Amino acid sequence: MSVESRERILARVAEATASRAGLPHPGALETPLTDDPEAAFVKRFTSSGGEVVEADRVRGRSVWLTRLLRGLDPEVVGVAVGPEVPPEFRPRLPEVAAAHAGAGISVAWAAVAESGSLILPSTGTRAVQLLPPVHVVWVPRGRVYGRLEDALRELRRNLSAGVGLHSGPSKSADIGRTVVTGVHGPGRCMAVLGSHASAGTSET
Amino acid sequence: MDTGIKDYAARSREIIREEPGVRESVTGATIAFDEKRRQGYAEVDADTWRRWAEGVKNHTLTHLDRYLAEAEEQLQANGAQVHWAADAAEAREIVTGLAVRHGVRSVVKGKSMVTEEIDLNPVLEAAGIEVFETDLGEYILQLLEEPPSHILGPALHKSLEQVQELFAERLDTARDGDPDTLARAAREVLRDAFIHADMGITGANFLVAETGTVALIENEGNIRLTTSLPRVHVAVVGIEKLLPRMTDLAGFLQLTARAATGQPIGCFVSLIQGPAADPGDDGPEEVHVVLVDNGRTDVLAHEHAWEALRCVRCGACLNACPVYRQTGGHAYGYVYSGPIGSVLDPGLLGLHEAMPLPFASSLCGACQDACPVRIPIPELLLEWRREAQEEGLTPWRERAALAGLASVATRPGLYRLAGKIGSRLGATGAARVLPMLGEWSKDRALPKPSPRTFRDLWREGIE
Ligand code: SF4
Repeated sequence: MSVESRERILARVAEATASRAGLPHPGALETPLTDDPEAAFVKRFTSSGGEVVEADRVRGRSVWLTRLLRGLDPEVVGVAVGPEVPPEFRPRLPEVAAAHAGAGISVAWAAVAESGSLILPSTGTRAVQLLPPVHVVWVPRGRVYGRLEDALRELRRNLSAGVGLHSGPSKSADIGRTVVTGVHGPGRCMAVLGSHASAGTSET
Repeated sequence: MDTGIKDYAARSREIIREEPGVRESVTGATIAFDEKRRQGYAEVDADTWRRWAEGVKNHTLTHLDRYLAEAEEQLQANGAQVHWAADAAEAREIVTGLAVRHGVRSVVKGKSMVTEEIDLNPVLEAAGIEVFETDLGEYILQLLEEPPSHILGPALHKSLEQVQELFAERLDTARDGDPDTLARAAREVLRDAFIHADMGITGANFLVAETGTVALIENEGNIRLTTSLPRVHVAVVGIEKLLPRMTDLAGFLQLTARAATGQPIGCFVSLIQGPAADPGDDGPEEVHVVLVDNGRTDVLAHEHAWEALRCVRCGACLNACPVYRQTGGHAYGYVYSGPIGSVLDPGLLGLHEAMPLPFASSLCGACQDACPVRIPIPELLLEWRREAQEEGLTPWRERAALAGLASVATRPGLYRLAGKIGSRLGATGAARVLPMLGEWSKDRALPKPSPRTFRDLWREGIE
């Protein structure tokens, strides 16, 4: 039974750990800081196959995004949009279920330069982040961390049930050692850097 | 425990003789992985990272009772349910029980070594549940009814032609379908499985005590789907997977990816705290974490072998290993193969059960140099050999090898020295000192005695 097993396992672990000296935690791993996290993010994310679009000077983001999605090949007709995406960042395209959408639109909690990652909380809808062939992610300006450790330290206080780090498109080399994209998750992952406020993040 | 370990030598011979394509595929893939790992390490201060990771794991393993209790408490606070399994049978029972209780008809699985270890799929299937392995490599192997051959690339022993043939038969793809076409066909089947599955089953790369976080690394997105779409998620987690803090994850996520494939991080990382809580969240209604012992406390209690529990299952030691390259993982007869299998299996299964794996190595040391948590694999192999000899478990050839190595075992520079003996004795002599080499020297021309050390030769692979 599980309760007995719990006691037994913990007792055996305790016995084993008591038999040798406890070793100290080495502290933080000091990875290098970067002066320009945003530029470093762009470099890392794109080298992993991610795409970055700058939307800083864009006015009317909704129309702009609509045009961008229409211009993709294949053209995006229906979209799935996370509940966290504010109205002015939603494309003017019919919203459909994630399983049938040409693109999913989300807002990242933050991005990370060191690992080239977008951090996606489950305050959004996970199917939107995973099912459509294209994933477009708004990254609020000023929300790019240099180091992953610093991002995770902050994230600790904002943990939702299932956080995803997306660091490029879905990939596999399981067949003939040839890299194919879009195996299960999105085959294209686009980070849109733009100065906007997102749900839970203040304008910077 | 029923394993094929004792047939290691015969199976190696058979694979080399009957399936020459395996050696070719495995060697090609592991050399490529190993090269990427080198590049991945070269981009960072890998020595510092590896020492740090070794330190964090040593700290965790020497305080494991405390961290297990903390993880349990946190997970429960997050709304997840925690189960404890002393052995494989109990782990199977827990997972199957959950599936039955939830009326589960179909399960999607993320690649997980521990669910292979506990042999989960057959009992689920016996309960009338359809099981889909969703990692592309695992899916291929499921169709072929084969176990994985490598921690990271479970099907890396299969050639493109073999997959073309398999998919043509099972998924109706063209005989000459390119990898893209084949992957798309698999995606279609599995996409349907994701949408209809009632339960997702995964392992875990790490379990963070501080936050009760199950962390999973992958490239395909299948694990994120497995942990997100079905209404129940079960994570089967070895008790050695603990990390103290969320910030520790930063180093481990990056180091593990670099060791495994040279990537800065996996394309997808899932950090699972518990069931869906936010209004927009379509994640699972229930999250269960099954903490599995199944021999791990024996390893932890072992004076030396406990260090093998630092393993993050990156596969770097397999990729670096000239012996593994000859056969792939199937020869080893158990889920954990290659260098790490040869030191972990004796601890998990008992030395008697794991014979002759501690001898399936040339002690070249390439595994230790590649290992992100600096597990002293060659030393542990020697330790198991010594114990095997003490217990009278070694056949004459292994004993002869031990006698040859015993004189150098206590001195520093052991592996290089052992290597030099090899180069002095030439191939036949070396085969006697390094017995497993003898198994393939029967089938293959071995290199002429070389002024270079044996270690160097192994490094390049015996060609
Ligand atoms: S022993 Fe080291 S190199 Fe081998 S799989 Fe484990 S962590 Fe990776």
